[in-house]
Amino acid sequence: MELNLNIPSWSDLRFWLPEAILCITFLVALLGDLVVRGRRTWVPFAVSVAGLITAGAYAVAAMNHGLDAGQFQGHTIMGSLMIVDGMAGFFRLLFIFASLVTVLFAWTSEEIMGKRRENKGEFYALTVLLTAAMMVMAEARDLLMLFLSMEAVGLISYVMAGYMRTSLRSSEASLKYVLFGAVSSAIMLYGMSLLYGMTGAMEFDGIRNALISGTVDPFALLVVVVLILAGMSYKIAAVPFHYWCPDVYEGAPTPVSAIFSVGPKAAGFALMIRFFYTTFAAGTDAGTQLVQDINWPLLVAVMSVATMTYGNLVALRQTNVKRMLAYSSIAHVGYLLMGFVLLSSAGLASILFYLLVYTLMNLGAFFYVVAINNHLKSEELSDYVGIGFRAPWAGAMMVIFLASLTGVPPFAGFVGKFYLFTAVLDKQWFWLAIVAALNSVVSLYYYFKVVRAMFLSTPAEGTDMSPLKLHWLQYVVLAMLAIPTLALGLFFEEFKGLADMAIGMMGG
Amino acid sequence: MEITLTHYLLLAAAIFVTGMVGFIVRRNAIVMLMCVELMLSSVNIVFAAFSRFHLDGGGHVFVLMNFAVAAAEAAIGLAILVEIFRRRRTVNVDDLKTLME
Amino acid sequence: MGEHILSWMTFFPVIGAAVIAFIPSERKEVIKTVAAAAAAVPLILAVQLFMTFDRTTAGFQFIEHYTWIKSFNIEYFMGIDGLSVPMVLLTAFLSFICVIASWGINKSVKGYFALFLILEAGMFGVFCALDFFLFYVFWEVMLLPMYFLIGIWGGPRREYAAIKFFLYTLAGSVLMLLAMIAFYLHTSDPVTGGHTFNMLHMFDQANHSEWLQGTNVRHVLWLALFIGFAIKVPVFPFHTWLPDAHVEAPTAVSVILAGVLLKMGTYGILRISYPMLPDQALWFSYTLALLGTINILYGAYCAMAQTDMKKLVAYSSVSHMGYVMLGMAAMTSAGINGAVLQMFNHGTITAMMFLCVGVVYDRAHTREINAFGGLGMQMPLYFSFFSFALFAALGLPGLSGFVSEAMIFMGVFPVYRTITIIAALGIIIGAAYVLWMLQRVFLGPKNEKWDSLPDINAREMFTLVPIGILVLLLGVYPMPVLDLMKVTLNNLIKVVAG
Repeated sequence: MELNLNIPSWSDLRFWLPEAILCITFLVALLGDLVVRGRRTWVPFAVSVAGLITAGAYAVAAMNHGLDAGQFQGHTIMGSLMIVDGMAGFFRLLFIFASLVTVLFAWTSEEIMGKRRENKGEFYALTVLLTAAMMVMAEARDLLMLFLSMEAVGLISYVMAGYMRTSLRSSEASLKYVLFGAVSSAIMLYGMSLLYGMTGAMEFDGIRNALISGTVDPFALLVVVVLILAGMSYKIAAVPFHYWCPDVYEGAPTPVSAIFSVGPKAAGFALMIRFFYTTFAAGTDAGTQLVQDINWPLLVAVMSVATMTYGNLVALRQTNVKRMLAYSSIAHVGYLLMGFVLLSSAGLASILFYLLVYTLMNLGAFFYVVAINNHLKSEELSDYVGIGFRAPWAGAMMVIFLASLTGVPPFAGFVGKFYLFTAVLDKQWFWLAIVAALNSVVSLYYYFKVVRAMFLSTPAEGTDMSPLKLHWLQYVVLAMLAIPTLALGLFFEEFKGLADMAIGMMGG
Repeated sequence: MEITLTHYLLLAAAIFVTGMVGFIVRRNAIVMLMCVELMLSSVNIVFAAFSRFHLDGGGHVFVLMNFAVAAAEAAIGLAILVEIFRRRRTVNVDDLKTLME
Repeated sequence: MGEHILSWMTFFPVIGAAVIAFIPSERKEVIKTVAAAAAAVPLILAVQLFMTFDRTTAGFQFIEHYTWIKSFNIEYFMGIDGLSVPMVLLTAFLSFICVIASWGINKSVKGYFALFLILEAGMFGVFCALDFFLFYVFWEVMLLPMYFLIGIWGGPRREYAAIKFFLYTLAGSVLMLLAMIAFYLHTSDPVTGGHTFNMLHMFDQANHSEWLQGTNVRHVLWLALFIGFAIKVPVFPFHTWLPDAHVEAPTAVSVILAGVLLKMGTYGILRISYPMLPDQALWFSYTLALLGTINILYGAYCAMAQTDMKKLVAYSSVSHMGYVMLGMAAMTSAGINGAVLQMFNHGTITAMMFLCVGVVYDRAHTREINAFGGLGMQMPLYFSFFSFALFAALGLPGLSGFVSEAMIFMGVFPVYRTITIIAALGIIIGAAYVLWMLQRVFLGPKNEKWDSLPDINAREMFTLVPIGILVLLLGVYPMPVLDLMKVTLNNLIKVVAG
């Protein structure tokens, strides 16, 4: 039997510099941590920050270079396993930014850096590696790479969720994550193996060509779509594959939950967009799906409605802020999925834009929880009473994040929803838009339950109302997120352009 | 009887379903992990069979990679289980309810 | 400031809020002074507007037109016509009065005045915006400050009232958002051919796409917009947030709520729904008249049943906004001019009533009507102010409320006779609850508990006297306000009713 293997050329790897830098950073941070025997934690911290900034600089440079050249349709890497194109460039920047602020904020977190914690350095090293893995997810254009990158993100996440080894909650969260993660990836793999069997191809455009030829049985293909969608929905925590999400977010250390709620989800969306739009639709602005017999847009639309409604309704009755944010992040996945079903480039660009603003506001909300947890050692809503007045500037920023998550102007979250709704209504999915709009009214109630506790409720007699002293770095990072959340709500031309460009320059 | 592609696929499907059912029915975390391994093996069979069918090396590569990933997954899963067993003296997932509301 | 007078009006309070944010919170007097200055500048500008506004044209004036978000064709487009100018004047006037009326605030002074000024900016923005997106942003910008103003500085049930207000308004505005996007996607800019948020383009039916000309689509869009605005008015049955919000809010915020925010609902219908969907406005007019009548009667009946003064005034607002809707539904010159005049007059009269309730609440810490009696002897000056406001509210000839209500009835009677006659009953009920309250609070035997209540003080006089003068003046000679809006509104009727 003759094996058909492409031997990749190493020169492609120069387009892969940010990922390579992050991998090296991971090794250096890990070894550095070993050398200082986990005592001088600033070593892995500094290495990670430096590595992320360097990788970010290269990613920006690559983006600019691609834009200057007028076309950024992509450079394939390692044969056809990966592609660095406009969309990959967008997600690279998003992930590096999210990881950078998380690493900075984790430095001040008691959960990560508390006196009795071991292996503090590992957190930084793992975050860096997670970033690299997520970037590969956004670049994969082959079933093998898709699987490997997803598993890489998964494996690192399992370890990070169980980071607080001494905490039973953390270990338990991690176990749930592993078990359900493994089974969902097995289900997805099964679908992938059948898809490979039906099309004889691994790379996405090969699969598409086989589908166009029309030799594939529609029913079998529907089974495959459902199986693969199951695995991907698990990654983005869409109903009915969401059940791990609240437990993991609540059990994991809050900085870890913060990056989980943003990074792997965004990576999952990147992967879904690339996979579905290169294999099952004729490009980003297809208008119709490729194989007419399989109405996967309707399937995903139903999932979208179920996800946002479930997330919002369950979030209503949460009393733990962290758990509430977990359910809210499920609801936001529902909003994001709306853009996915439209078969239009505006729909995809609106997903990217929403992911951008979601990253800002959701990280901000989680970080505020971290900052408060340092002092109160609690995430219960009842302990938040009067907290707004004890640290007014941080409280005001939290209000910005929560209002933005609700989707109230003039904050970025509103613009994200506006762009999504515009794309949805343009494609005349009216019921989807109406359900989503009503859902955002529901979400107002629970987001503002937090605001109410922070500012409105009268503290019980004898409650400590002394001002809280937050670490200066916490103010810096919160402002790094709050200012763009406000500014993007008023001036979003540039970033909308970036999202449009990223989708416009998505290579096949 | 000649062994055809269909036979391989049926075998794989049977193993996959066995693993799936086992995962749902059993409450012992170690058994659950083993069931997942079973599911992954069935995927390997499908890939290997199709690789031969299409005379394409991609499927074989996938199988090899899958081995590595499955091993890593099992390693992490077991490490976490050991940690939990040390404290709780149980690996029954129904007993692990700290996080439930 | 001459060129960008509307922007200065809108954003000067924001500058004031930003300055206040950086004043140390112990310097309460400084904060209050800065707030008063920040509210005074728009008032001065409003006077300038009043002087220079061209009363002979229906077109928009003081226009500012810039590109804001190019890829969505969103523009920073501000301008005013005869419909918005009375509202802008009212906002500037009441906001300044309210800053003075808030002088007694002691809790988190800094936050209060900063939020109040942002609220003021939002109100100006709504009345000046001519780009739908801009309008929507300003419309929503008011929610957050209002939530906090009710929620932090309000009465005992403030948390409930604040979130209820927020939820109701947001529910309405998401429907408006969807309708707005539908308009955007189906209106083309006559010059560039692209989608546009420009309201003037949306007014022109020729720019609407084929889809947007379908009758069913237009009915649905009308209803979506109407519900959005109706919640703000508030139209029965969307009114239940109002009594809670009004009662719990601090006095000055109640004044702004009743004086300005309610008007935004009817303003929105006249500014957006009428010209964009004129056929639907006609289609809906009978229902609107009916809803107006229900508002008048229901509001008045509820007011009669209240024992809390503030709640009584709140329900009287529901009733008075019913007149506005009735006038709008008539589609006659007298009706619609009367409606907008009523919007202005109700803003001033209800402000006076809320301020008066605030005066007694500050002293007695209760608003129970039954707890008082014979206050007329104890606080004679206060008695005269409150009775002046109440008489204005019940439509006593010679005071401003009479003029607008009379115009509305004159306008609507030829169109909907039966409804007008039923609605007129509202005046009788209105007189009943007003006189009943006056008698219970100010006449009769004096309750000894209140022997030490001091009469109205200079600062309170300072807030009440200017409004009183305005009410009296417009009652005798309403032409200054009518002249402002006549041309625009008559043109609007021509557009809608042909």
